[in-house]
Parts: sequence; C-alpha cells; structure tokens
Amino acid sequence: MSRARNESAGVALLGGAAACCVGVVVALAAWLAVAGFAPFWPTSVVEVSLRDGAVVLGERVAQFDDAQVLRTSEIERIGGAYRRLRPDDIVSTALPRDVLAIELADGRRLFARDAGDAAALLAAAGAIESDVVERVAPNALGFGSRCMLFVKRVARFVAGAPDTSNISGGVLPALIGTLTLVLLMSVLAMPLGVATAMFLHQRRGAYARALRSAIDMLAGMPAILYGVLGLGLFVHGLGARVDAWFFADRLPVPTFGSGGLLWAAATLALLTLPVVVVSVERGLAGIPASLREGSLALGATREETMWRLLLPLARPAILGGFALAIARAAGSVAPLMLVGVVKLAPALPFDAHFPYFHPSAQFMHLGFSVYDASMASPDALRGVPRAYACAALLVLIVLTLNLSALVLRNRLRARQRMLEPA
Amino acid sequence: MFVLLLLCAIPAYLLASAASLPFAGQSPDWARLGILFGGSLRATLCALVFAVPVGIAAALFAAHFCAPRLRGWLRAALELLEAVPTVVLGLIAFASIAPWLATHVAGVVVACVVAPCALFAWGLATRTPRRRLGWMPLWGVPLVVAALVAGVVLGAGIDGTRFVPASPWNTLLVGLVLGVATLPTVYAMADDALAALPSAQTQAALALGATRWQALVTVALPAAMSGLIAAVCMAAARCFGETMIVLMASGNTPLGGFDWLGGLRSLSAELALELPRSAPSGAAWRELLLVALLLLATTMLLHAVARVMRTRLRARQVA
Repeated sequence: MSRARNESAGVALLGGAAACCVGVVVALAAWLAVAGFAPFWPTSVVEVSLRDGAVVLGERVAQFDDAQVLRTSEIERIGGAYRRLRPDDIVSTALPRDVLAIELADGRRLFARDAGDAAALLAAAGAIESDVVERVAPNALGFGSRCMLFVKRVARFVAGAPDTSNISGGVLPALIGTLTLVLLMSVLAMPLGVATAMFLHQRRGAYARALRSAIDMLAGMPAILYGVLGLGLFVHGLGARVDAWFFADRLPVPTFGSGGLLWAAATLALLTLPVVVVSVERGLAGIPASLREGSLALGATREETMWRLLLPLARPAILGGFALAIARAAGSVAPLMLVGVVKLAPALPFDAHFPYFHPSAQFMHLGFSVYDASMASPDALRGVPRAYACAALLVLIVLTLNLSALVLRNRLRARQRMLEPA
Repeated sequence: MFVLLLLCAIPAYLLASAASLPFAGQSPDWARLGILFGGSLRATLCALVFAVPVGIAAALFAAHFCAPRLRGWLRAALELLEAVPTVVLGLIAFASIAPWLATHVAGVVVACVVAPCALFAWGLATRTPRRRLGWMPLWGVPLVVAALVAGVVLGAGIDGTRFVPASPWNTLLVGLVLGVATLPTVYAMADDALAALPSAQTQAALALGATRWQALVTVALPAAMSGLIAAVCMAAARCFGETMIVLMASGNTPLGGFDWLGGLRSLSAELALELPRSAPSGAAWRELLLVALLLLATTMLLHAVARVMRTRLRARQVA
C-alpha cells in the first residue's frame, strides 16, 4: 500500500472529525428548533373507540412501542386525565372534523364533540366562559389557520403568565426575571470590568501581574463555586448584616438575608467580570501605539488620552465584551440555584409600589425553568415540551447576543485595520 | 482598584476560612467525599474520551487541510456551540437521548469503532482532489452520519447482556453530552496552539519535499504538543466543574467504582443539590464547603498544568 494512500486515509479521518463537529452543531440546532416549537403546533384530536365499547376523545401526547398515551378532557385537575391505550384495546380511530378543543386559563384542556357537549364539560369542570383561553376545532383547521394559531400560542407563551402551579401557561415572569437579572448584573460588572481593563492596560508591575493572574483564576473557576461564594458571602454574610442593621424590625423573616435578585446579580457580575476584562483589554491592546504616542506628544495627559482617545476607540470591544458577558450570564443556571432563583414567583421584580424595584425579591429564570420543568414537573408529559420551549427561547436570546458580539468584533477588526499606518 | 484585588481574593479567602473551620468533634465523611470525587472524575474521563480525539483531529484538519474560508466558519460554529447554555444540553440528554441510549448502548459502542474505520477505509479507497478535500467538513457530514448509523444498526444486532445500563441516566450519557459541551474548548485551544506556530517551519518542511501530512506529523504536531496538552487540561477542568449537564443526566446516585454504565454523583451536583437546604455554619454546611474546596483545588491544579504547558509552547515559539 502506497504512502500517499495511507496519508489520504489519515486526512479523511481528520476531515471526518471536523465533519462530526459540524454535524453536532447542525443536529443540535435542528433538534432545538423542532422540539422547541413543536409544542405550539396545533395537533389533531382523535376519537378512539375501545374494545369495551367506550369512545374516548383526546390528543395523542406520546407514542411507545407497545402503547400510546392520550390526553382526554381534564375535568378535575391539570395532568389528571391521561389514558394509556394498547393497540389491541383499540377498535377504530377517527378524526371527526367538528371536535372542539378548549383550553382554560389554568391550563386544563377539554375536548368536546359539539357546542352543547362543550357547555356540559365546562360546567363539569367548574369553569365559566371567561376562563376559556382558546377554543378551536383543530381537525377542521387548514394549514394557514394552523399557522395563525401557532403564532398566537407562541405569543401567549412569551407574553403570558404561568398558571398557579407553573405546569403550563406563559413564561413572562421568567423572561423578565432573566432580563432584569442580566441588566442588573451588567450595571455591576461593566464599570468594574472596564476600569480594571484600563488599569491593566496602563500598568506593568507586580500588582498588575497579581491582578491578571487573579482574573485568570476567576475565569477558570467552575460556575457552581460562584454560587457557593454568593450564598456564603453575599446572602449569609452581607445579607444577614444588612438585615440586622436596616430591617431589624422584620427579623427573623429575612429581607436581604435570603437569596434574591441583587445577590444573584452580584454573583453573576463576579462570574462575568473576567470576560469583560479580557475582551476590553484586548480591544485596548489592539489600538496602534502610534495613536497613543501621538496624543501624548501633542500634550494630552495620560488621563485625557485614555478618556478622549483610547476608550472611544475601544467602544466596539467594550460592547462586544458586554454582549459576551450577558450571554454568559443568561446561560448560567447552576450558581443561581444557590442564590435565589425559585420555581414560581409570579410577581415581577418591579411594580407600582414604592420603591418600585425590589432587589431582594426572589425571581424566576428561563434556564432554571428548563431544569425545573423537565426534572420536577408534576405532569411530565407537559413538562418536557415546556422545558424545550423555554430552552429554545433561552438559546434564541443567548445566540442573538453572541452573534452581535461576533459582528461587533469583526467591525472592530475592520476599523483597526483602517487605523494601521500604511 | 484596590477593591478589585479584594474581590479577586474573596474565593481564596472564603474557602480557606471554610477549611479552617473546626470540625466539632467529628471528622468529615471522607468516604463520601471520595465517591463524589470519583463521580466527577468518571464523568470527566468519559467526556474526554469523546471530546479529545474529535476536537484535536478537527483542529488539525482545520489548521492544515481546510479551505481557509471554511476555517473561519468552523470556528464560529463551534463558538456558537460553546454559547449554548449547558442546561439546554442537559435537557436534551435527560429527556431525549437517555431513553434512546438505554436500549442502544451496544450500537453506540460499535458506531464509535466502525465510523473511524469506515472513514479510514474510504480514504484508502478513494482519492479526493485537494480543493474538494478542503471542504470535507461540509460534504463529509452525510458520510459520517451514514457511518455512525451503520454502526448503530450493526450494534443493534449484538445481543449483549453486558451492554444493559443500570439506569438510563448513566456515565456514558454524561460523557457523551459533556463531550459535546467541551468539544469547542478542545477545538479552540488546539486551533490556537497550531495557529501560533511559526509558519516558516511548516513551509520549510514543505519546501524540502514533505507532503502536507508529513509536515503535520513530523513538524507541526511535535511543536504544538504542549499546546494540545494544555487544551486537554482546560477541557478536563471545564468538565470537572460542569454542573447542569451532570446534574440532569447522571441520575445523581452516589455510587463508587468505575462502572461506565452506572449512575454517578459529582462534586458540583452535590453542591447544587445540598447547599440550598443546609443551614449556614452547620455540620453539613462545613462538609459542603470541603466539597467546594476539593472542586476548586482540582480545577486550579488542571489550570496550573495548562498554564505551564502554554508557557512552554510560547518559549518554544520564541526559540
């Protein structure tokens, strides 16, 4: 066998590995898009006649080798009316066109044969007409109206409130919680990060070196350890102190002494600080030395050079670091589990009551909703699709931010190429 | 500015103070600590088995054979993969891969053997022009998928009682998904190490008549070796500290031993599960701080090794 052939085989192996990477990325994206949005697509309602003479109306929610699971009218409680049907129990299956599917405000779904049947079902479920969120005849819908319904459901998911047990409904509090947390985090992390990067850019001493290795260490620390830090230091340390000084009248009920938005944001700020510092410093280092020297030669002080010249030039780097920090913060769930994220907190962190913004409030988070809905939902057949929907939304947010960071970085590069002396 | 140094000193300070807390009359549960450490270690090793060969091979391909335009895209795609929150990967592992994997372990094992063999054989049998080869990461995807599917189908024929996992959430699953999560780390660091090599060396080898493959194996690979080791160490550190994937996909059963089809519980998962429930400065709290300390020490050690290796690489480049 010739050497050339051996080599081409080796290259094929390496290329296969690269193809494997591409395949993983594509498969992940496709799977998330499908699994994340499938829960909103209107499914047909089937009418199944059983061997014992009963006729069951419902939607198929799971399919196994030996059985299928049907969700029938949930009259008593949500997730309380699943039927597991074996193939030899079933006599016939039909898709009647006039079947009505009704969704109530608390997430329960009812399936009725006609309007009279629907009224009886609603009465049995203890619901009135105003509880009905959605009333459609899914089997009669064409493709266009299914798309309309799909869009409406996505909008309701993004902008609606969850039901009282967070099994179904919208994720608005989680979305707002995520965004508020991330904004608060950047308010804490950005000034500190930019200042540190400026400092590191200007100084070369033992102190700067120590700072640099400390930031390196922070960057390498597992995220969960930030959670430990936040819990031990911020919540139990600082928070308990703040309570003892300012909220002594409410003790032993903790105000800042339990996990909340502020401490979570502070924890995430520590987590993202290295990202900001590294990316801003890189931006500052990329500015040609001739510009800085020219500014100093023209009589500007070092401070003036920094504020008037270097920082404006590094703006894309700062924005890029900002976007990366936000993306990292929005995607990290583990530390939050220790510092105040909760399963259900329908109250938003800001409202019309003084002081309008409540940094000590517990909050919901999209990433934690993914974890909670998939692992701890009382209704697993709703939980996993819901987790996928939350995951798709989260990935959409994070990827948008990351892509904007990428674009900013490319613009920065183009700009610096322009600045370089010919 | 001085505030910042304080801030950076906090982790060290907190954990040191945790370690110096007196254990009131009782010694910590070392056996449990060992099991948790073993769990983290198993997950990490299993993940590296998947991530390191694929990531480094892909980086080698990108550095020496890839079409230049594609190289940027490959990097961007993997950066996006790195940006995907790990809780999402954990969800996919927990809800979608686990039920399938429970009945297809033999298939996965066979596929991992068959796919490289098939690619190698395909490379022996065909000669692809260099220009087309540069785009292999794109047109090779169906090829790899076909090889993997063939492996799974072949493996399904094996009746192996040895391949029945004790639980759907096991070390193999954690390793697979954690491997995907660390693939970008391995790739990016290996790519950086290869890109940082002075191109004059490789070009000299090519000018002296070496083929591209020879230039890679005899010149670039030895020169970049310390960088590649650094990449592996960084990936190991990342796996070791990873929480959400392990928490969701491992079943969280504190089992010892090295069963690659059994469940596990890692240091990070222990922290995430137990810390919110334990009262501060109680006995359980102290044990958990010990767990945190162990986690910190291990990741810091791996980082230190990576750092030394990178310094070596840089010294070599200067020389």
